[in-house]
Amino acid sequence: MIDQALGWLDERLGVSKSGKKFLDKIFPDHWSFMLGEIALYSFVVLVLTGVFLTLYYVPSTKEVIYHGRYLPLVGKRMSEAYASTLHISFGVRVGLLMRQTHHWAADVFVAAIAVHMIRVFFTGAYRKPRELNWIIGVTLLMLAIVNGFIGYSLPDDLISGTGIRIAFSITESIPLVGSYLAFFLFGGNYPGTAIIPRFFILHVLILPAIIAVLIGAHMGLLIRHKHTQFPGPGRSEDNVVGSPLWPNFAAKTTGFQLIVFGVLFALGGLIQINPIWQFGPYLPYKVSYAVQPDWYMGWLDGALRIMPSWEFAGFGHTIPFEVFLPGVVLPLVTTLFFFAWPFIEERFTGDHAPHHLLDRPRDRPLRTSFGAAVLAFYVVLFGASSTDVIANFFHITLNTVLWSFRFLVVIVPIVVGVITNRICHELAGTAQPREARPRRMPNVIVRSDEGGYETYPVSPYPEDEAIELEPEPVPVNVDQDATA
Amino acid sequence: MKAYHLLIPIALVAIVAVVGPLSSDAHGPTLASSTAVLSSRDSTALSNAGDGSSTSSKKHASNVIHLPKSYIPEGRILFEESCASCHGPTAEGSSRAPNLVGLGEATIDFWLSTGRMPLSAPTVQPVEKPPRFNKKQILEIVAFVHSLGPGGPGIPRVNLHGANLANGQSLFTLNCAACHTVTGSGDMLANGVFAPSLHIATPREIYEAIRTGPGNMPRFGPNTLSRKQVEDIIDYVRGPIQHPNNRGGIGLGGVGPVAEGFVAMLALAGLILVVFWIGERS
Amino acid sequence: MTEESMSYNVGESAGASTESLLNDSGEVDEAAPSGPSALDPRLAPIAKNPERVEKVIVGLFVLGLLGFAAFGALYWHGGRQPQLEGVFIGVGLMSLGFGLSSWGKYLMPRGPFVEERHPLASEPQAQEEFKEALVGRGKYVLKRRGFLAGLMGLAATVFAIVAAFPFIRSLGPVPGDILDKTSWKRGSRLVTADGRPVKVDTLQVGGILTVFPEGHAGSAIAQTVLIRAADVSITTKPGRESWAPEGYIAYSKVCTHAGCPVGLYQEQTQQLLCPCHQSLFNVLDGAQPVFGPAPRPLPQLPLMIDSEGFLRAQRGYEVPIGPGFWSRS
Repeated sequence: MIDQALGWLDERLGVSKSGKKFLDKIFPDHWSFMLGEIALYSFVVLVLTGVFLTLYYVPSTKEVIYHGRYLPLVGKRMSEAYASTLHISFGVRVGLLMRQTHHWAADVFVAAIAVHMIRVFFTGAYRKPRELNWIIGVTLLMLAIVNGFIGYSLPDDLISGTGIRIAFSITESIPLVGSYLAFFLFGGNYPGTAIIPRFFILHVLILPAIIAVLIGAHMGLLIRHKHTQFPGPGRSEDNVVGSPLWPNFAAKTTGFQLIVFGVLFALGGLIQINPIWQFGPYLPYKVSYAVQPDWYMGWLDGALRIMPSWEFAGFGHTIPFEVFLPGVVLPLVTTLFFFAWPFIEERFTGDHAPHHLLDRPRDRPLRTSFGAAVLAFYVVLFGASSTDVIANFFHITLNTVLWSFRFLVVIVPIVVGVITNRICHELAGTAQPREARPRRMPNVIVRSDEGGYETYPVSPYPEDEAIELEPEPVPVNVDQDATA
Repeated sequence: MKAYHLLIPIALVAIVAVVGPLSSDAHGPTLASSTAVLSSRDSTALSNAGDGSSTSSKKHASNVIHLPKSYIPEGRILFEESCASCHGPTAEGSSRAPNLVGLGEATIDFWLSTGRMPLSAPTVQPVEKPPRFNKKQILEIVAFVHSLGPGGPGIPRVNLHGANLANGQSLFTLNCAACHTVTGSGDMLANGVFAPSLHIATPREIYEAIRTGPGNMPRFGPNTLSRKQVEDIIDYVRGPIQHPNNRGGIGLGGVGPVAEGFVAMLALAGLILVVFWIGERS
Repeated sequence: MTEESMSYNVGESAGASTESLLNDSGEVDEAAPSGPSALDPRLAPIAKNPERVEKVIVGLFVLGLLGFAAFGALYWHGGRQPQLEGVFIGVGLMSLGFGLSSWGKYLMPRGPFVEERHPLASEPQAQEEFKEALVGRGKYVLKRRGFLAGLMGLAATVFAIVAAFPFIRSLGPVPGDILDKTSWKRGSRLVTADGRPVKVDTLQVGGILTVFPEGHAGSAIAQTVLIRAADVSITTKPGRESWAPEGYIAYSKVCTHAGCPVGLYQEQTQQLLCPCHQSLFNVLDGAQPVFGPAPRPLPQLPLMIDSEGFLRAQRGYEVPIGPGFWSRS
């Protein structure tokens, strides 16, 4: 049966040779190589739950009167978008589970991309020949953030509506073309009726399609380049050591996929996220205090909050730098800077050789401390997005919090960078190249009967010794009984 | 491989066993009470009949609580003991504290019954605490201060029969949510002033606060919000705000994406622990 | 290493290095059938006691099965119970996942296995041939026919431009002077969100109301915050002596920073706070920003009180409301 099927396929596609190679593909066993998979599987959950939601969500701002199950809103006028989201939450069986899982998956998706990117950065995995894949990854991060924001806006509730208003203002702030772009995007002046359907088609078709294609390219390049790996016994620039795709890695990663699914669905069922029925429908003249965007937009919101009011007005024109810089320039510069980083580093170090062995962060103190500083910058901006919550929590004035953040956004990155640099130098210690240095062993001190002391090294994990086997290519059949 | 992996699902089930009933408790009564309210709700919407200021309080005598004159002497003693050192013996105010004459019974009742007054030390904004006086003592002080000069709103009798929850939602998001947040959690405003949480407010306190505008809160007079409208708001606060329908699970305090982002990070950390287990660590 | 030399010769390499290791893991020794060169330690599972692991995995799979069955039963029952739904399906998926991962981690060949990496770049000759074919043939095509290529390029460019036009230009109207105007006009009556006209006794001192021009209740652009800061006329800026009769002051409710509704009125300090990015405006000083990112005061609407006691706008806003934009002068 399976013989026939494979034969049929091979005669038409010639897949046997590449198929076998694919099954033999080696995945490094180190845990940090699986971070990207969290993002990948979150995306799968997003697609699955998202398809479910599209069956019930109505992308329309047409006014309807609500007659659903949530009693405090019965008889109220609201947009069809909001009413259908209420219906998903209260009327559709497992609808709320799907909606909340979708939202949690989005939050975890972006977070996992960020953590994966941090791993790639600090180990230098973006170096030649992987610069293109780094660029694809950065693009994916930005698209994920944008699509997250758009999806968050779709329910047309009081809080997300305020976010759309800010998006209009940010678009409007672009010099020369801003108001045109804003009018084109919204189909006229704010609020209009076009934005919800337009956001919908972006959210469910255009952006996910681009994301899916880029994920495909990301993984295609991964197969083309093969994995990077940490240096170690038997590992070199010319090989990859680890487990084969089939069966080890397939089992582990499929299992892990199910775990990611399980965690997200459990979150979706147990912990409430974005309870839009508590917010009420959006009306442009209503507002709630303590409004924050989802966490991945926090750095932009924080930048908007702490930016001084530097508006330029003159020559008959206005450039609202207080919105343009944090709202447009910051994300653009961030993206371009991340795009350019591998090339900047290459120019800086003059190192044009391909690299497949990863750096330990401590061995590249300059990169590591710079990366830590950049990371700290965005973390501070993220913190600044909850100035009011922080002020309320610590019972200090908003003024104090705002001014603290204006200073912290400069100071913290510098301090973090300097401290990281120190730590790297401390940890690096010896100037010996890493490969040549023997693995350090703990010592056991034994006191003899006569009172003398004796010291000898031991392995910290006796099981480890087995791992120090010479790596071999995967045999065609891995069944011990069969090879015997 | 250890058997403790089994503990994870078991722990989850245990969490549910705790959370499940909690959340159903949380929304059960709300839905029940809203059903009751809705079934009896008056279909006539906004009644524009203002309940007037001082003149109409006589007309709608049943809407306010009248305090007997006999309360005044006791009230004077309590006032002199606890209030006069700042507000002066005849409540005329001082450099440390405002004049209380003519502010109305509702104002005095609000500040005393929420425990915000008397203060042990001057602050930017007094906070809610258990009241110093019992209910009768509070009314005695109110009666005394009111005897010093008339004016201001009286202590309301709140009647939530016939209140409209949906109108309350609309009025709340328009007039209250801007400061108290849409979930009623409250937040920090400018200059160290904060909008307090509404989660433990009683109907009378809410009514008094709306009418008298304590501290930095604006004042909503009877021509701005009618008696019926205030009662709609109170109904919404007592219902969905104080007993939110947390159908989706643990409510995270109603502070929105900040807490949600934190949970997402925890989930990610948990997943990273899982890859830490699946992968190798050397 | 080339493909050919990558023979999967297990026994040979294993034979020498395994002996000592087999002693370490005695169970493996017992469990596997003993052949002369049979046992490659890389093919042994990590688990010292595979039977026990199997038992645990069985437990996990059964738990997963139960979780899914419970979810199915719950759904069949029709109970709208997001918590139980999430837990049943979550526990089911997680159990299955942990079981499968354990299977992969503990019961499959431990390795390590290796894969050779070949240089990505092609041989210089191949590179050269590719370049030659691409450029050389291109030159052949263009030889003495550059004009044709130019013309086609021009046509394609024009197509790109005219094709882009419907995609962009059709999206919406051009702004024109729309952003400079609101629907406030000379003599517009102030009405509340539900359309009730505002009279001189509507607000008490210290009161606040969101108002609109009559006929435009609910307008996102014309929304205005009406505050009664006193019971006598107030001058918020020189030249605005008549703008705030009876203490009624009206400002645009659209923040000059990012456009959020400025709805937080602090009555004692006479300040308006924007909830989104915490810009603070001084009500008595023409809504001059005193704190936060807002660059400009909220525009003030000049008010008057007509003979019947209704509040009216003397005229519309003198400056464009809301956040800044390029053509705002």
